[in-house]
Amino acid sequence: MISLDKLTKVYGHGDHRTVVLDDLDFSVAAKEIFAVVGPSGAGKSTLAQCVNLLERPTSGSVVVNGENLSTLNEAQLRVARGRIGTIFQSDGLFSRRTAAQNVALPLEYLGVTAAESRRRVAELLERVGLSDRAGHYPHQLSGGQRQRVGIARALALRPSVLLSDEATSGLDPQSTASIVTLLKELRDDLGLSILFITHEMDTVLQVADSAARLERGRIVESGIIVDLLQNPHSVLGRALQPARAHASAEPGEVTWLLGYASSHVPADWLIRMSTTLATPIRLLGASIESVNGATVGHASVGIHGAEPERIQSVAAQLGLSARLETSASRAGSIADANADVVPDSLERVA
Amino acid sequence: MSAATLALALPGSLRLGNEVPLDQIAALVFPALGDTLIMVGIVMAIVVVVGIPLGALIHNLGPEGLFENHALHTVLSWTVSVGRSLPFLILMAAIVPFTRFITGTNIGIAAAVVPMSIAGIAFFTRIVENSLRSVPTAFVRVAKASGASPLQIIRTAQLSEAVPSIIGGITINTIAMIEYSAIAGTIGAGGIGYVAVTYGYQRFDHAVMIATIVILVGTVALVQFAGDRLVRLTTPRIRTAASRGAPRTRAAETIDA
Repeated sequence: MISLDKLTKVYGHGDHRTVVLDDLDFSVAAKEIFAVVGPSGAGKSTLAQCVNLLERPTSGSVVVNGENLSTLNEAQLRVARGRIGTIFQSDGLFSRRTAAQNVALPLEYLGVTAAESRRRVAELLERVGLSDRAGHYPHQLSGGQRQRVGIARALALRPSVLLSDEATSGLDPQSTASIVTLLKELRDDLGLSILFITHEMDTVLQVADSAARLERGRIVESGIIVDLLQNPHSVLGRALQPARAHASAEPGEVTWLLGYASSHVPADWLIRMSTTLATPIRLLGASIESVNGATVGHASVGIHGAEPERIQSVAAQLGLSARLETSASRAGSIADANADVVPDSLERVA
Repeated sequence: MSAATLALALPGSLRLGNEVPLDQIAALVFPALGDTLIMVGIVMAIVVVVGIPLGALIHNLGPEGLFENHALHTVLSWTVSVGRSLPFLILMAAIVPFTRFITGTNIGIAAAVVPMSIAGIAFFTRIVENSLRSVPTAFVRVAKASGASPLQIIRTAQLSEAVPSIIGGITINTIAMIEYSAIAGTIGAGGIGYVAVTYGYQRFDHAVMIATIVILVGTVALVQFAGDRLVRLTTPRIRTAASRGAPRTRAAETIDA
């Protein structure tokens, strides 16, 4: 369990004062994977460095298992860092050390005996599925394998919190998927709290239970992933599952964006809706998938000659949100997303 | 006893026109090479022992270092620059009183070691600093996050990663010291450079001159070869490529560039 309490980081003084992190408050429970996403320059890397205690926050605190780590002195801090394992972006392995020697680093720093270190390293490499690569140097490993070594190293001191700082950035999709699977396994087996900092929305959808959107140093939105996806107002939800280009409507048709706004949308909603409205509904594009056990997604449909209010009420009964496509939503732009028309009836559904 | 061996025994009493017989050149040149190697060996030992910690200290006092300290960094860096900026001959002459204070003499090997060490340390400190600068700073963050103390960070995340580059620097430095030893030879430090100057240059003994040139070229080539070999051995990327029979590249040279 890790929580940030009013975490603020300011660089510079006077006119050059820049608030990089502004009053961040969130916590990651044991067995939870919490993603923080944001554009570059939002403060993600500073957040990572404050969490693994490489940077001291200007104010506020980082609390791990009830212990406030922000008030520790340098020597205590060195010990405390053992409680937080960090997985860095792929370049974090020492080039002149083998996989096993890289994993052994934190144990070596701690002064663990060679025999004990060997045993623990073997156990860790086994855990990440790289026992047969112990003697390989980083340049002999693939990107995904290097990252597995990084994960084994992060786990060396049996941390309760794992910080993943852009760990899957730069990996190919297969490697990313295998790292994501490994992280979820570790979370379940070791009861870790995982803070997953990334700019890759796709990966967030695969890995996280909850997510927060960091923008200009502030958390502007956060919640459980499924809730975010089901909330048609959520900018983060829409960024996680963006509407892609779809076929265009026939003349006379109106294009509607329908979103899964609850976990109880019947799979045959398209037919049901068409029957209830007594008009054909043409599917122009859709993206529907299962995330953390819930079916989520959205569809663009072309509907001919039906009252907008009626469409919305029928959709709402099926657990769908419905809004007219505007040029802004069609462009899929996050910045303009707030301008979308969202009918009131949806509030009750969501 | 021939006149030539007399000249050998008394190098001070120059007898122009009397050239060293060819069969005696080896007896003249090889002991001199031995003196050079002893001199350079002692100097390099001092240079490495002092230069590596000093280079690491200056690096870490600098911007983004582990113990950033602008004032101390400026003072140390400036001191090293002074040592680097004087031509060796001038430096040697300038510190004669200091040399005499340390060694009790201002001629011979002992006296040559003092100015050579000072010049060598200044040179090598910059080389170490430069090598450390080329190590990605991400490694320092990794070590810190893994619970390393500052000394552990310097040893494992900075120096260890820079080993091939530092070995390349030691090679360059050793060759520079062989050169300096010839200059030091002019204050009676002996060595191969001294033989080249007194016999080859001052007495126009071409055979001795050629012999010293061949030996110097051979020595330098050997040092460079050994250095390159060590760089290769300490760089896993190159070592493992070579052992797998992959085509050899000239990558070893670019490491210390």
